Formats: sequence, structure tokens, C-alpha cells
Amino acid sequence: MIELEKQLLFLEKRLIYLNDIKGEIFGERLNTLQNWLAKLKEQLYTLSAKDVQKNINKISAQISLYEKEAEKKLTPLDYVRIVRHPFRISLKDILENVYDDYVELAGADECNIDPAVVAARATINRKVGHRIYTYQVMVIGHEKGHGEEFRNGGSAKPWGNAKALQFMKVAETEGIPIHSYIFTPGAFPIEDYPGAAQQIARNLYAMAGIRVPIIAFISEGGSGGAEAIGLADLRLMFSHGYYSVISPEGAAAIEGKLKEGKKASPELIRFCAEQLKITAKDNLQLGTIDRIIQEPPLGAKREDYDFFNRLKREVIKATDEVILSVKSLGTLRAYHYKKNGYKDTDNIYVRWQLDEKEIQRLIQKRRQKYRNMGTNFYVDLRSPLHRKVSNLKDKFLYAKTYICYDLLRRPRRRIQQFSEEIKAELLVIFNHLLSPLVKLRNKILPPKLSYLVSEELQEMEKVCLRGGYVSPRAKVDKTISCPNAERYGCYDIWIPDLYSEFCGICPNCGHHFPLEYQWYIHCLFDKNSVKEFNAEIASINPLNYKGFDEKLEEARQKTGRHSAIITFDAKILGIELIVAMLYSDFRGGTVGAAEGEKFVLACERAKRLRRPLLAYVHGTAGIRIQEGTIGVIQMPKCTVAVREYLEAGGLYIVVYDNNSYAGPVASFLGCAPYQFAIRSSKIGFAGPRVIRETTGEDIPPDYHSARNALRRGHIQGIWDRRDFRKNLYMALRTMGGKNLYYR
Amino acid sequence: MTSKQQMKIEDIIAEYKRNPYQVFTISTPHTGIVSLKVTKGQKVQGTTGKWLERKGTLLYTLVRQGNEKRFYAPIDGEITDLDESLDGQFVEAKTPLMSIKHKLSKEEAINKVLEKFLEIYNAPETAKYYLAPELYQKIEQKGLKKALINPGEELLIMSRMKRDVVLNYEGRPGIIYVIYFKPNTTVNQGDPLLGICPPEQLEFISHLVKRIYLEWE
Amino acid sequence: MEKVLIANRGEIAIRIMRACKALGLEYVVVYTEEDRDSEHVRLGRENGGKVFRIASYTDPNEILEIADFARCTAIHPGYGFLAENYRFARRVTQRSRPLIFIGPRPEVIKELGSKINTKSIAKRLGIPVIPGSDRPIYNEVEAENIGIKLFHQQWEEGIKHPAILVKASAGGGGMGIEEVYDLNQLRAVYRRIKRYAKKHFGDEGVLLEKKLSDFNHIEVQLVCSRHGERVHFGTRNCTIQSIFRQKRIEVAPAFDPDYRYQFDPNEITEKIVSYSLKMAAYLGYDNVGTWEWIVTPEGKFYLLEVNPRIQVESGVSGFISQIKKQPRGVDLVKEQIRLALGEKLKYKQKHISFHGCSIEFRIIAEDTLHGFRPWGGTITKFKLPQHDWLQVHTHVPQDRPYAIPSDYDPNLALILVWGESVAQAKERGKRLLEEIVIEGKNNQGEEIITNIEFLKERLNSIQRFAT
Repeated sequence: MIELEKQLLFLEKRLIYLNDIKGEIFGERLNTLQNWLAKLKEQLYTLSAKDVQKNINKISAQISLYEKEAEKKLTPLDYVRIVRHPFRISLKDILENVYDDYVELAGADECNIDPAVVAARATINRKVGHRIYTYQVMVIGHEKGHGEEFRNGGSAKPWGNAKALQFMKVAETEGIPIHSYIFTPGAFPIEDYPGAAQQIARNLYAMAGIRVPIIAFISEGGSGGAEAIGLADLRLMFSHGYYSVISPEGAAAIEGKLKEGKKASPELIRFCAEQLKITAKDNLQLGTIDRIIQEPPLGAKREDYDFFNRLKREVIKATDEVILSVKSLGTLRAYHYKKNGYKDTDNIYVRWQLDEKEIQRLIQKRRQKYRNMGTNFYVDLRSPLHRKVSNLKDKFLYAKTYICYDLLRRPRRRIQQFSEEIKAELLVIFNHLLSPLVKLRNKILPPKLSYLVSEELQEMEKVCLRGGYVSPRAKVDKTISCPNAERYGCYDIWIPDLYSEFCGICPNCGHHFPLEYQWYIHCLFDKNSVKEFNAEIASINPLNYKGFDEKLEEARQKTGRHSAIITFDAKILGIELIVAMLYSDFRGGTVGAAEGEKFVLACERAKRLRRPLLAYVHGTAGIRIQEGTIGVIQMPKCTVAVREYLEAGGLYIVVYDNNSYAGPVASFLGCAPYQFAIRSSKIGFAGPRVIRETTGEDIPPDYHSARNALRRGHIQGIWDRRDFRKNLYMALRTMGGKNLYYR
Repeated sequence: MTSKQQMKIEDIIAEYKRNPYQVFTISTPHTGIVSLKVTKGQKVQGTTGKWLERKGTLLYTLVRQGNEKRFYAPIDGEITDLDESLDGQFVEAKTPLMSIKHKLSKEEAINKVLEKFLEIYNAPETAKYYLAPELYQKIEQKGLKKALINPGEELLIMSRMKRDVVLNYEGRPGIIYVIYFKPNTTVNQGDPLLGICPPEQLEFISHLVKRIYLEWE
Repeated sequence: MEKVLIANRGEIAIRIMRACKALGLEYVVVYTEEDRDSEHVRLGRENGGKVFRIASYTDPNEILEIADFARCTAIHPGYGFLAENYRFARRVTQRSRPLIFIGPRPEVIKELGSKINTKSIAKRLGIPVIPGSDRPIYNEVEAENIGIKLFHQQWEEGIKHPAILVKASAGGGGMGIEEVYDLNQLRAVYRRIKRYAKKHFGDEGVLLEKKLSDFNHIEVQLVCSRHGERVHFGTRNCTIQSIFRQKRIEVAPAFDPDYRYQFDPNEITEKIVSYSLKMAAYLGYDNVGTWEWIVTPEGKFYLLEVNPRIQVESGVSGFISQIKKQPRGVDLVKEQIRLALGEKLKYKQKHISFHGCSIEFRIIAEDTLHGFRPWGGTITKFKLPQHDWLQVHTHVPQDRPYAIPSDYDPNLALILVWGESVAQAKERGKRLLEEIVIEGKNNQGEEIITNIEFLKERLNSIQRFAT
């Protein structure tokens, strides 16, 4: 009887689940089943066991039928519902059922720096023939805990992501693969150190060079939070998961331009869920994931043991695949894989260890993987001939740089260093011989008139801001109030003064009013030194998001440009540099495939030409939601490019201005070693509204201010706009030192 | 607590219960053309929010040199003495427009009563006052009711006739309990600037606060 | 007809009012709440005149809003407040309802707005300036180079104990200045001043200058029209100052004709006047202005700065001046307004003559024995003498008690005397200072403190050097 009761209970759960996920399509039919089940429960002890079992089988069959029917009618929004359901498999279930043994690291349940993130050392066994092999792996992932409140729905706090990074490093030291399981609706958007955005950026940067295989499994891939542990060699996705740039509700709030506190209509949410292309199939098509792991109808629940078995095989296979793709293999096995592909590894033992050469290949391959992502989702408007010509030009430039810096400079520098050494030696001897005379002379005569030599004296004169540009805003005879007037007693400012001489800065309190991006292009760099490249790489509407074509066209009309980023060569007092400038006039400075590609190209150009790279963020609202996960993968893609540039010896400086938020900050901007902010700018992961909605708490009005970002250690300094040119010049000189290789 | 003190507290509470109102006069800060946005007898809401980030009811607008500024109710209450004849007119600086009759809340009543028990540091001259930088920082870091000031330390900067004079704190060590003045506004001689509480009095004061909490309706 | 908005307070507002009346112009007076009892408000209301209460004299928006509302056509900024704010001048003349700015062209005010720029213009014209940097220094190495040079120059001149001044270039009024007597200290001082300048003025530029220990502060009064006419109204000596370098006694002419200097005063006067005119011509200067000079006991002179506005002490120059055969006494405020409105000068340099000597005293409620601390309180009795050799400018009422507002300097009155000779003027000055009656009390019931004793004492040393 106990067995039957158990079965009944299980049926009940299945029914509840079915009702929760897709109840609306069955209407009365589910009620009938429910009543049947309830009646059966009442009669459990009056009916014979056989009869009960019969009924159970009948009901079960009916439920299975319904489940299959529901499965066919699943809409994108239903997948969201599935992954958020408390019955959904969680990381702990996987650790219990897929791995053979595990030890949870850094915390247990509530007693944990962040219960939303679980790290565990685990073993996984594989049977080959009669032998059993045991692999050691590091499992890192989000734990939703079947609705346990302290798990925070799998939303990792900044320190949770830091914990993930800590154990990735452990895995790297130990040389064991990392399995990362993504079960997150998104990162918890708080700025406390180490900071939501900054920590994700740090994780991405680290993963771009981690020396062990990483395999990621996505169940709930909520944008930046997912990327924090998602930059993997292989990305697998559960068939009933979703992977999206933003929650459908969040997208609907933006789409509907809703005021705070208002809820979006269910229709709008459904519309967004469909437009965002969030399902596993969609993502496979977009190339943002590599494979789908099939789940049972309506998704895997914690009792689906068949699924765990399948998952185990997939986990092993995926790890094998990554390892084998970079391994130097014996002839026989090489032949085998060539013939059958890496997938057929069931019966062959693969050592999950790599030597140095293979590690390099692994990292190279990983970087290439992200480099190639999303390349089909923008257009280059240049004619093929035009493209060829400019390609040729670039090649010539690269060759010149190579000759100048690598072939000629190095030997010359060596000779120079040698001669300096000799001179210094000689001077020591000389001083010894002459010292009595010098002392005598100093006694008799007043100190000699001797000037110190400094070649930089004249240069400092020129670092003041360049004038000659007048903002179109300066043409109104009106005044404007400074937002700090009440606090500092600032007078109203005459607009023609504010937008010309004052550089948009309140002369009393120093508040920075926003200025158009053109001001920076004109005033920051040497005259006629700004030369744009890749202007013709254009944003498109890769997901055919309804209504977005019009918005894109509007942005093009408004700005006369094709994407939200401008990349150009420029000079500051003769120092050549590459600049990537995100500006908010074009779709809020959001980053999509075209922007990501242009940024990567700028990194590559800076690397090849051996020039410093400045990312000036005039404003960015984050990843472009209308590009869905194509947008999201720009985060790892660009971060990889930054890492390659920095490893080649580049100097990368980020300067934030106005409003810099979300994805870009949480990746290729936030990972920069030098980050500065212009005064009065706001930097952060999510805006006040999102914070209020996810954390349920109000934040102070200055929560994202540059000052607070500095206080939290997210940035290295705050710059006055008037000192921008000077500070940038100083930064290039001091951080690059006297021997900047690009001078 | 002595019975004398007890009596005094009761007297004070009774007095505030009799007339629990305070009237705020709303005047224009500068010249311009005024448009009134409230009517006589209207209930208005003051600034709210944990960081006083949400503005109160819009009282009036003032247009000067093409810049329309909005002015909001600083405090809850009822509009009285509204000068409707000024609507749409040019006004000089510091022209009274209306008053807000504000019913004291429990906390405000407490503050009022506290004024009688704290050591009040009054303005020695009519001047503008600023907290001394070190004290300002201390309060920024620790918050009000936590920052201790010792005799001899710099308390305030008094700015008058274009000259800044540093005022040092004299008297027993105390905790800065309340700040009554706003920076950059002229404080009349004798008006309260700071309410200072000697550390050993802290207990009595908190007891007092509790009493009023219980008795104030 | 033109209507002038008087954008100032106190005695200068009254002087402008009088000048407008004399020219037959309409005017509008503004005041702040704190100034409600000032004489300039009462006089503004006389004869149905309109006065406007504003929030602040330094807020251009208040001034312009009143100018628009009262349909004014010109603005007189007086001295202080907005007088040397070229942005204000520019806004006044370039706004959609343009007004006449009674002062030089904004471009000129801008050029002369910084001492450093003035210095470099002077250098370009071959006009001597105090040796030192002629632009703000941002670089330690350069600062040291200049320091070394300045010390060596002084050694070569035979100065035994040379010294230099290190100043914040954006500073003023004695703030952010340190003296250096030893080259080894220079670096430390430079860094200190740089930090100070950055903190207080937002610009870390630093100036280095030779330190002069003994000198006279001499001014040349120019009057120029919008038509390229330029004349001077002689010189003034403003050496008697407070410790914060604020003038207390001014004398016209600059040098005592009955005293033997180490140099020929006529020659120096001629030189600095002609240099001043040269620079005015170069700048296209077009209103009243003052060229300030430093003269050493040996007769070396250096241009210090130019004040592109009417000055407090313009009266002493007017008092001794005569145009053609008109009676002695020229109102330079009136000249300023007339010329700013576009009139021609109507006289030439040769028509201007100077007679006798005039001394101006600034009567201020301040404690000269304790760091010139301003005194605040209420004046209960204020009686100023009357003589035909006397001019008085004051906004303090003499018929009722007056509380000195705390937001402004406690200036009470300007009193000017005239004498046939310096000796007579001094004599009359002494008498005048004895005759003034001021009574008052502050909140603590203490008696009023004024600088009259200081003025009496320093009257003896006018037009003299310390050594």
C-alpha cells in the first residue's frame, strides 16, 4: 500500500506540474483527472490493490498523453515557466545523480557566502569494458534549491561570482576540467564590492585564459549572470531551458515604456518572449550554443532518473570532445575520431589531462570560438572592391609596424641600453677622480646657474582642451538650473556659457551636464588626427524582432551612422592611439553584433599597430535586447579580444561617462586594468528600477555615482571633463612609461 | 529622573498637545513670473523617501530668464494665506506667497522638546555657517547622534563679511545630536545651530524620547 | 531715452544714481533683503523711483530679469560683484534683448581678467613687469628653473638676501602666497601651493615672482571713449593698505611734489602714463580703467594689473582735475556712463589740468589691531562734517540707527579732502578724522570699532617709502 500511496503522490505532483505549466489548454479535462485521482485516494484502502494499480496506470497513461500534447504546444514563455518551477531539476540534484561523489566547497546551505552559487569537487565514473575509471572535476553552478528562499532563485551576488572564480582557479591549479551549470535568472544587481558588473567582467576575463577545459550546461541562462560562469569551450543547453538577454518581463517593461510599479500585460510579455528567441532550438540556430540535451516532455524534474543517466553520458562525452579536439593523439585513435567524430567516445577511455602544448591549443580554440560568434549578424556596407582596398591598406600598415617595431627597434634599443650602461660606469670613475675639486669649487662660488633639462615642458602647454567646437545646444538665450543648486547654492547658468566655455560644467559645484559625443571627438584629440575605420559595419535586426527595423532606421536617420560604436585612430600630443567610443544617440549605446565586431576589430588593430586602446563610453544602456543572445555573446567575445590585446602587451584604458550600465560594463569594459569615470557619470550593473524590482529595496539616488564607484573600488579615479585630455595624456605617459613601445 | 524633570516633561507635552501646529511661510527665492499650483485649504505633501529623494506637492513655478523652476512643498500640511493676486505676476525675491500649516508629527514634537534639553549651540552672529571639514567628515562617516566633539576641536566655520572664522567647540565633550541650519543660508544671530548632547545624558534623552513616543497621540 | 539698471549697492550705487540724474537718465535700483535699510534704497525710491528686491547682487539672472521687467537699456555694474565678470558683460551685450554694458568691451575685460595674461601682453609691448613667470607653471622642473633664474638675477643685482613669491595663479586677495628665501625650500613650497591651488581654485597653476620688499602702489586713471579717444586723469598713490592688501587711503597725485625721492617723480609719472596709454591703445580700450603699477624706492617700476572698471578711489583723481575752464572737479562715473552710451569725449588731454592734492579715506568698521577683523553691530549715531573742501559718499543713514549687514564688507563711508598742497590736504584730513562722530554697539553691548585711528596714524606716511 505504501508503494501505491507513493505512486499516487507522484501522480498528484505530475498533475500539479502539468497544470502549472500548461493547464490552460486542457480546461475541464484536468479537473476530471484531478477528481478521479482524489476519489482514488479516498478509496485507497477500500479498493483492492490491483484495482488501485489499474486506476493508477490509467491515470498515468492519461497524464502522459496530456504531457505529450502539452509538449507540442509549448510556447517560449512556457519554457520560462518550466525552468522557474520548483519541481525543476537543480544543481544539487545533478550533483547527487549525475556525479558519483561530491564535496561541496565554501559553504553549506544557508551557511554560505552566497547560497545561490554552489562549487563542488566531484567525481564521475566511466565504465570502459570491465574497468571503471574515475574522473575528478570541479562543478560550479547556480543552485535554485527548489524554491528555498535563501537560494535567491539562483541569482548570484557579486561575491558568489567571486567564489565561482576562486574555485575555477583551484581547478586550473589542479588541472581538472570545470563543469559549469547555469541555473540563473540573472546576477543579483547590487554594487557592493566586488560589484555585480565588475565581478562578472573579472570572471569572463579569467575564463578567457583558463588552462583547463570548461563545459557549460544551460538550464536558465539569464544574460550577464549566465556569462559569469558561461565562457566555456563547449556550451550545451537543456532542451527545456531558456537562454536570453533579459527576462521576458523585463523586456516587456522596456518595450511598453512602463512606469515603475506598473505591470506589463501578459500579451506583451508573451510577445517579448517570442521575439527574444530564447529557446534551446533558437539558440542552436543562432550559434550561441553547441548542442541540445533532450529532456523528457515538459522538462526534467527531480525524479527523472532516466534523464540523469542521459545527462551523465552527455557530460562525459562533452568533456571528451573538448579534450580530444586539442589532444595530440596516437594514429589509431586519430583515425577513429576522424572517421566517427568526437562524439562516439563511449567505449574508449580518454585521459582528461592536457600537456602544455595542448593547453595552448585549448585556449586558442576557445578564443577562436568566441571570435567567430555572431559574425553573421551584421553587414558590411562596403563594396567588395572597397573592402579589398582597405584590407590591403591595413596589411601594409601592419607590415610597416612589424618592420619598425619588431625588426628594427629591438636591436637598436639593445645597443642604446648597452651604451647607457657604459656611460654610467665611466661617470662613476670620473666623479671619484674629480670630487676634491668639485667640493672646493662649491665652497668658493655660489651655486652655478644650471637648468634642468626636460623635454616635456613644452608639451604640457598643449594638453589643455582644444577649442573650436561649439555645441549646437549653446544657441538658446535661456538659463538652466544646476541639479545641485539647493545644496551648493549654484546660480542658474546661461546656456550659451554652459555649452561653450564651461564645457557643460557648473562653474560653482562642478556638476557635469551631459555633452554630445561630437564634443569629445573635436576637443579631446589632436587636430585632424581622428580617422574613423569600419564605419560601414552596420547593425541589423538578426532576430527579425517585430518593430525593430523601424527603430533601427530611426537611429540611422538621427545619427547618420550605422552602429552604436565609433572606432577611430587618433592622436594626443602625437601619441597615436585607437579609440572605441560607445555613444548613446544610437539605440542608447547598446551593444549588438556589429558593435561587438567593431570593438574586436579595434582591439586587433591596436594589437597589430602596437598602440594604446581607449574605450570611451559616452553612454551605454547595456546589451541590445532586440538581438537576444547574439547580443549576450558579445560579452565573452569582446572580453576575449581585450585579453588577447593585453597579453600582447597593450595598454587598455576605459573612461566612463554619463550612464554606463549592464552587459558592456560587466565584460569588456569592466575587465580593464585602468578604469576611470568622468565626474557626474553613473556606472553600474542595473538601473534603480531593476534593483528595486529584484531586490525589493530602494537605493539611494547617488547609488551609481562615480564617487561611489570609486569608493567601492570599481574604478581607479574620477576625471573632470576639462582635464580629460590632460589626464589621458598623463595616463598614457605614466602607465606606459617612458619606453612605451608604441612611441 | 527627578520628579521635577518629570513635571517639566509633562508640561511640555501638554503644551504641544494644545497647539500641535507649526506654520511655514513659503517665499520666492528669487525674482520671476510666478504661477500658483495650489488652492487655499489644499492639503499638500512634503518631501518623502528614505533619502528625501521624492518631491512633495508642486506649489508654484517661477520663470526667470527662460528657466522654469518648480517648487515643491517642503512639509505636509494645509495651504493657508495664499496670495492669489500674485498668480501670473512678476514678483521680487523673497515675496511671501503662502503658508503651510503643518501638524507636528511625533518625531517633530520630540525634536522640539529635545531643543529644551539638549545643549543648544546658538549662532553668535548673523552669518552663514558651515560644519568644520573634520567634523563634517566625521558626521558623514558615522552619522548624526554618533559623532563626538571634544573641547578645542573645530566645530563650525562662520562666514560673514567675506571672512571665514573658525569656531572652536568649548564645553564638555558631546555628541552632535541635531543640526538645525542649512549650509549657504544666513542664520540670524541667536538662532540654534546645533543640538549637542553630553554622552552621559544620552540615556536620559533616549528615555525622554521614549516617554513622548508613548504619550503623544 | 536710456534707462540704467544700477547693479550694485552702497555708496557706488548712490554715486551712479547722482551721475544718471546729472545726465538726465532714468535709472532702476536693486537691493537685497539685508540691504533694505541702506540709503541707496531710500534714495532710489525718491521721486517715485522704482526699487526691486533681488536675491543677490552677484547673480546675473536676477539683474537681467529686473532689467527686462523694468525695460532698462543699460547696466552699470559699479565695482566688485559683476563688474569684472566678462561673461556677464558678454551676456548683457549678446543676449536676444541686448543691453549696453557700462564698462569696457567684454573681450577687453577677458584679456585683462587674469594677471598672467596682462603680464604677457605687457611683455609683448615692452612694458616692464615684475620678473618671474608670465604664465601658470604646472611643472616642477620648470618652476625650479625659473626659481634658479630669479635668485641669480637678484644676486647679480647685488641683493644680499633674495626672495621670491610663489603664488597660486588663480588666487587673489593674498590667498595662496608663500615667500621663499632659500632655493632648497622651493620644491616643497611649490608643491604645497600647487595642492592649495588645486583644492581652492580648481587649477594647480603656480606663479613665481621676485619678491619686492619696499614699494609704492601707483595707479594711472585712463578715460577712453568708444571712438578711439584716450586721455588720462593723472595718477594716484594707494600704498596705504590693510594686511590683506585692501586700500585704505588713496592720494592724487601719486607723488608729493615737495618731497625729494631717489628718482625724478615727473619722469616716472610720464613713463607709466605713456605705457598705460600704449597698452590701452593696443587693447582698443574703450571705457574708464586703471593701470596699477609698482614703483620701488630706486625708481624701478613694473605693471601689476589693469582694472577694467570704475574704481572706488576714482574720486580723488576727479577732485583735482579740471577740464578747460569749467570749475575744478570731474565726476568720472558720469564720464564713464556718458562714454559707454557712445558719446564722444569732447575734450583732449591738453584740456585737462590738475590742481592741488586730494586724499580719500575709507571709513570701515574693522579692528585694525586684530587682523582687520570686520565689526558687526548697529550704528546709533553717525555724523560726518561738512566743508567745501570735502566730499562724502556713504550709504549709511545719518538720521536713524543702522545695522551693518553681515553679508558685505562693513564699509561705512568714503571721505575725500582737497588741499592746495599735500601739506594742506593732510592737515584737512587730520581735522576731518577728528570731527567724525560714530557711535554704535554690537550684540554683546560692546562699543563700535572703526579704523579711524589707523587712518590718522598712516596719514603721515602717504606718498613715502619705508626706507
